Amino acid sequence: MINYLKSLFVPETFTLSNGKVVKSKFNWTIYIVIALFFLIILAGKFTGFSFETLVDKGANFFDILVKMVKVDFAYFPKIVGPMIDTLTMSLLGTVIGAVFALPAAFICSANLNKNRIFIRIVKTLISIIRTVPVLVYALILTYIFGIGTFAGFLSLTIFTFSICTKMLYEQIETLDNGPFEAMESTGSDKVKATWIAIFPQLRSHYFSTMLYNFEMNVRSAAILGYVGAGGIGLILNENIGWRKYGRVGMILIVLIVTVIAIESLSRFIRKRLG
Amino acid sequence: MSKSRIIEQYEMRPKKWVSYLLSIIVIVAILFPAISTISFNGFSKSGLVVAKNIFLGIINPDMSFILDFSELGLPFLLLETAAIAFLGTLIGLIISVPLAFLAARNITNKFVSNIFVTIITIIRTFPVFVYGLMFIRVTGPGAFAGVLTLALTSIGMLSKLFIEVIEDLDTGIIESLDASGCNTLQKIRFGIIPQLMTNFVSILIYRFDINVKNASVLGLVGAGGIGAPLQFAMAGSKWDLVGSLLLGLIVLVLIIETCSDKIRAKLANG
Amino acid sequence: MIEFNNVSKVYSNGCKALSNVSLTIEQGEFVAIIGLSGAGKSTLLRSINKMHSISDGILNVNGVEVSKIKGKELRKFRRNIGMVFQSFNLVRRTSVINNVLSSKAADKNVLEVLFGYYSKEEKISALEALDKVGILEKAYIRADQLSGGQMQRVALARTLAQNPKIILADEPVASLDPIMASSVMEDFTKINKETNITVIINIHHVDLALKYADRIIGIRAGEIVFDGPSANITDDILTEIYGREINDDERMIKND
Repeated sequence: MINYLKSLFVPETFTLSNGKVVKSKFNWTIYIVIALFFLIILAGKFTGFSFETLVDKGANFFDILVKMVKVDFAYFPKIVGPMIDTLTMSLLGTVIGAVFALPAAFICSANLNKNRIFIRIVKTLISIIRTVPVLVYALILTYIFGIGTFAGFLSLTIFTFSICTKMLYEQIETLDNGPFEAMESTGSDKVKATWIAIFPQLRSHYFSTMLYNFEMNVRSAAILGYVGAGGIGLILNENIGWRKYGRVGMILIVLIVTVIAIESLSRFIRKRLG
Repeated sequence: MSKSRIIEQYEMRPKKWVSYLLSIIVIVAILFPAISTISFNGFSKSGLVVAKNIFLGIINPDMSFILDFSELGLPFLLLETAAIAFLGTLIGLIISVPLAFLAARNITNKFVSNIFVTIITIIRTFPVFVYGLMFIRVTGPGAFAGVLTLALTSIGMLSKLFIEVIEDLDTGIIESLDASGCNTLQKIRFGIIPQLMTNFVSILIYRFDINVKNASVLGLVGAGGIGAPLQFAMAGSKWDLVGSLLLGLIVLVLIIETCSDKIRAKLANG
Repeated sequence: MIEFNNVSKVYSNGCKALSNVSLTIEQGEFVAIIGLSGAGKSTLLRSINKMHSISDGILNVNGVEVSKIKGKELRKFRRNIGMVFQSFNLVRRTSVINNVLSSKAADKNVLEVLFGYYSKEEKISALEALDKVGILEKAYIRADQLSGGQMQRVALARTLAQNPKIILADEPVASLDPIMASSVMEDFTKINKETNITVIINIHHVDLALKYADRIIGIRAGEIVFDGPSANITDDILTEIYGREINDDERMIKND
């Protein structure tokens, strides 16, 4: 038993019959477990985690859930408008973000652009753009463009741009570079060579990336209303604030049905794109 | 002779303008109404000034705030954000592992699996901040609400990805352990865990990465972390504070993203 | 006319691919470059249109000093030189005629390229190029539906549509079966004889080189060890080029 415990911390050594000494591989597991244990306690302190609250008031969560199940169907007509706003923001954000992402991805691809330093800089910039969550963009943009769908649309555009660019350049770097080389040998510049030799190989992947981003954007667009950037989040937030949970239930049903419908449609189209 | 064959072939070229015209009509029909619903009211009066100020704020962040190690400073807020994400991911893990096993088609029967898959799908479709607002009713505003929210939302994605890994299990190993006379516990210990471990850890780290971003957003609904101070700073026009908060957020996410990418790449390569 | 004058090429990793190469190729010649893989065949060929740049010496192509040009001038220079590759390098997801037309993109403005607009004259000339290599009827099908031999013909047609003075072919038949290889080589010969285009081919198969080319350049470790009419090649010379007896793989056509 003691030997077993010891073996967890210090690598075991075996002496073989021919006198060779074999050390078993150093085992990190126990150290990771101990570190995790302390991290959990620390994180619990930081966040004020308490089981008592959970036990005492956990039922509140289900109370709200039960109230939501009593769906207020009469509220449906009021949801359609904001839902369309949400879809519109997502659609335009996706399309415009993806259109800008295409040239950016070409510029960032190591097989098309030989300027390593330039690529490094642009890729870093794009990952910085990507680190800021959509909702934070929406918050900032509502201060600049005022409350409304435009701020929501713009924040989705920025976000789509940064994600699409990354997904696309990762794909481009795996593509066959031969046709591009052939175009360069005919005297085409890089722009024409890329468009003629690389884009046809990328096309179906590009459209499926766009669809995938559209799915994600509908989900994110639903919360943008919280900071005033238009769409369904606006009424969702209001009704939670007013504790009109029946309406919240209705909104969530519309949202979930829409999201599932879009996901199925997009999966169907993406499968056909191959 | 050969000339006429070429002309003949030229005339046979596919006429593409019909399909071009159709696709243009479709695109215009979808995008045009869409554009008209997006109301661009121009810059709000102070919009340009705000934009300039945020930019200046990022360049000249509030250094005293960045170096303030008390509970009001940036380091504390960032640590809190990371702690929310960490605990949320962990609790999500504890719940989603059994859930994933119950929903995996090669472990349970189709009926049970369908029930659990449906539950997971429903959990997944709720927007994050709806949970946030609901949990605030339970715990009051603060980081704890954030932890619970992230735990619940992590369950959706974690179990979905776990199920895929479990359904890919190589059952041949279990059979061979069976043949060597292992009991169920030993089969799980030596046959299943080694196969699942790296994939699960990789998924977990990926989700932690996402949760750090989510944790920073949850603050906006009052569930702890960096979001709430950001909103207050913006409402109070303290642009240098906004700048330092954004900077802190970017650095935190970049560090965690880079580490997560590195660790996952290492796990994938064995 | 192509003139190499003491040309050397050292890669950044220190590998010396060409050393002091001097040779002259007149307009309308059909030249095959033979040698082991890694001997510098590809570097020699690709330095002619500056797909690889040389490190030392002077290389003149039709009166242009290749190492001096870059950017726009280089692209203009390349329009007169066609290139054919071992792996064909076609855009597989688009039609044959679009592949052929793509060699004309260099002369067009960006908007025309973006929308894929080509004039009637350009389309006719692309079809003529396809006719020359005997696959006119395949013009409107997608390139990925063709066999290897047909793909290489499309690549040849693409090069012809460019109206080049010189065609460089980098192992054009290495991915093809023996019968296809011979017929593609015949296409090269036909084009060379009928249009007086200079053809320079890198080739792994000695027998194909001897059968179709007028002149052989043997290269070993970056140096030219033989340069003369194919009729003058003997087994001793081949042994010198390859550093050993040539094997069956390199002798694609069996002596029948």
